[in-house]
Amino acid sequence: MLSYWRQYLAISPFYLIFIAFSFFPVFYSLYLAFQRYDGLGTKQFVGLQQFEFLWNDPVFWLSIRNTLVIWVLSTVPTLFGALVLATLLHSVRRFKGFYRIALYVPNVTSIVAVAIFFGAVFSNNFGLVNAILGTVGISPVPWLSNPWLIKLVIGLLMTWMWTGYNMIIYLAGLQAIPQSVYEAAKMDGAGPVRTFFQITIPIMRPIILFTVIVSTINGLQSFSEPQVLFASNAANANLGGPGQAGLTTLLYFYQSSFLDNDYGYGAAIVWAFFVLIIVLVVINWRIVQRGSKS
Amino acid sequence: MDLSRRGFLQAAVLTAAASGLTVACGDDSGSGGTKNGKNLTMWYWGGALSDKVVAEAKTHFSSKIKLTSASIGGDFKQKLTTTLAAGGSSVPDITGIKGEDIASFLPNADRFLDLNDLGFKKISSQYLEWKTKLAQTKDGKQIGFPIDIGPTALFYRADLFDKAGLPTDPAKVAAEAKTWDDYFALGSELKKALAGTFLVNNISSVFNIVVGQGTKRFIDENNHFIGDQDHIRAAWTTAIRPYTLGLDAKINDNTWNAAIGKNLTTELGAAWHALDIESAAPGTKGKWRVCATPGGPANQGGSYLALPKQCRNPEEAFKIISWILSPDNNAKSFTDAAIFPASPASYAMDAMTGPDAFFGGQKIIEVFGPAAEAIPVSYEAPADSAVMAPFMAELSSIEAKGKKPDDAWKDAVSQAKQIARRQGVS
Repeated sequence: MLSYWRQYLAISPFYLIFIAFSFFPVFYSLYLAFQRYDGLGTKQFVGLQQFEFLWNDPVFWLSIRNTLVIWVLSTVPTLFGALVLATLLHSVRRFKGFYRIALYVPNVTSIVAVAIFFGAVFSNNFGLVNAILGTVGISPVPWLSNPWLIKLVIGLLMTWMWTGYNMIIYLAGLQAIPQSVYEAAKMDGAGPVRTFFQITIPIMRPIILFTVIVSTINGLQSFSEPQVLFASNAANANLGGPGQAGLTTLLYFYQSSFLDNDYGYGAAIVWAFFVLIIVLVVINWRIVQRGSKS
Repeated sequence: MDLSRRGFLQAAVLTAAASGLTVACGDDSGSGGTKNGKNLTMWYWGGALSDKVVAEAKTHFSSKIKLTSASIGGDFKQKLTTTLAAGGSSVPDITGIKGEDIASFLPNADRFLDLNDLGFKKISSQYLEWKTKLAQTKDGKQIGFPIDIGPTALFYRADLFDKAGLPTDPAKVAAEAKTWDDYFALGSELKKALAGTFLVNNISSVFNIVVGQGTKRFIDENNHFIGDQDHIRAAWTTAIRPYTLGLDAKINDNTWNAAIGKNLTTELGAAWHALDIESAAPGTKGKWRVCATPGGPANQGGSYLALPKQCRNPEEAFKIISWILSPDNNAKSFTDAAIFPASPASYAMDAMTGPDAFFGGQKIIEVFGPAAEAIPVSYEAPADSAVMAPFMAELSSIEAKGKKPDDAWKDAVSQAKQIARRQGVS
């Protein structure tokens, strides 16, 4: 063990930085969840009080609901769209590289720029979408004030950003499927739709599960999208949009900790959220287990 | 795996750099150093101070002090809080504090120097008393030097008023819109004459101003929650009126800029709001006028400069901030960056009494000056803005979802109570 010290030394920078900037803060936040702390003054131990507040806080539950709805509204179309696009791209013969880059670009675009752009496009009174609807005689749709439409716009934004990313992963999976399998299916008289559902999807299963888990993690962490779409300032202290319909859990955590100076409560929010994510991971895992048995 | 000498050296250098980084972050010393430093740093955000005046300050004090200023972007309060909590030499010697954040810094006043010890007491009469008081602890410690204020007024479209057959002269409009009820009656007339126009952009902004017109807010000086009492209920009822009368444009997203030159006939806001209107609707130049806020003036925004405890040269730093914020330089800051001074002496200076072309040549200081001095003093508790947030959120729920105002009130009060309890308010 000790004779490898040079190797351990060589890999140590990552671990040192990890301990300082990830490991320590995680456990410090757990410690904070049991304190009342305004960021500068003395910390006061309050036991489980923060969690008791949390349990009785309707805004917290609202934020959980919002997060889950936005997650479903973004993950389902993202993964479905990515699979369709990947299949199409797989069969394309020319300009493959161009399509790949074009579809991947949204993922590397600054999320703030995208959110500002979506805010302008879906603006209630003067947005592009409503202007186009207006030309065909449809009255303006309140995209950014109706509670459901707010979630839809955020979901759409996330779909737009992440479809290309998942598509690349699916494309890699598709390219690994041997051509002979398809040829055999063709010989048996299977059409393209049947081939897709009975050959492509079952073989891609582990890759799809991987993207589901990655999308779960990404989707539950939605923060910047509503934060930028519904920015607050001195004149408008509104966070999470009208009726707090776009208030995700992480945005509520941010509001409690950094706007209300309630760091203990903020820590309690993220730890409760952590428990929720664990539950979702267990459900995910169960589904995977069942799949491998059958 | 075989490690070459070069690889080993690189790894060693990286490790040393990484550990140096962690050590630097844990460093908590530096606060006990000498108190006659020559290099001072100043933090503020874009637009908080006039860059011209700051540049002049640098040359004015260059014989004794090298002043370095940094314009900090992003969430300023957050950056200041973490830097103060970490301590060390990265804490600025002079820092700005936003008006809406000052109350939350007061419980930790020991992190700042008492400006009264440095001579603020002698010159404090030059600054508005209510503004000075908001940066004072209960035992009289002054942590903030007032930069600017945001006295509110009613901005209105004189051309649209004229079209609707209403008076356009500021004095007459002010008389017609003396109380909130008068103002809403005016709005109903406007709406009748000009279909498709609205009086207010949203009802949260009305609520915000009505609360600011009172002498009590959400938490009293004995740390009791009073957000469910009559004065807040009255402000709530006033805010609901334009909604029920159909005078509310319900703009809660960032389409305000697009609406401002088109279907809004009036706008309630602070002095700095004039710049927002001007930049959002340059085409309406000359059509706007300003008059007194219905129901009396309130304050919105306006910031402070403070000296953290770690300040390396308190005496010189105080000289610098009192120079930057002297009435003369405040008047300059107003012409340069539309920063409305907290020093009444500035209001009579040439820089501020000129006619404003955007407002059709109106001398707007004649509206904002008296408003500034008439703003009521109210106690603002550290948790005040946190407790106010659910009221704003519920008002937007009424606009967005058509939630019943009475249900919204009940929910707002119960949420506000819970936030108050969380923050240690009884």
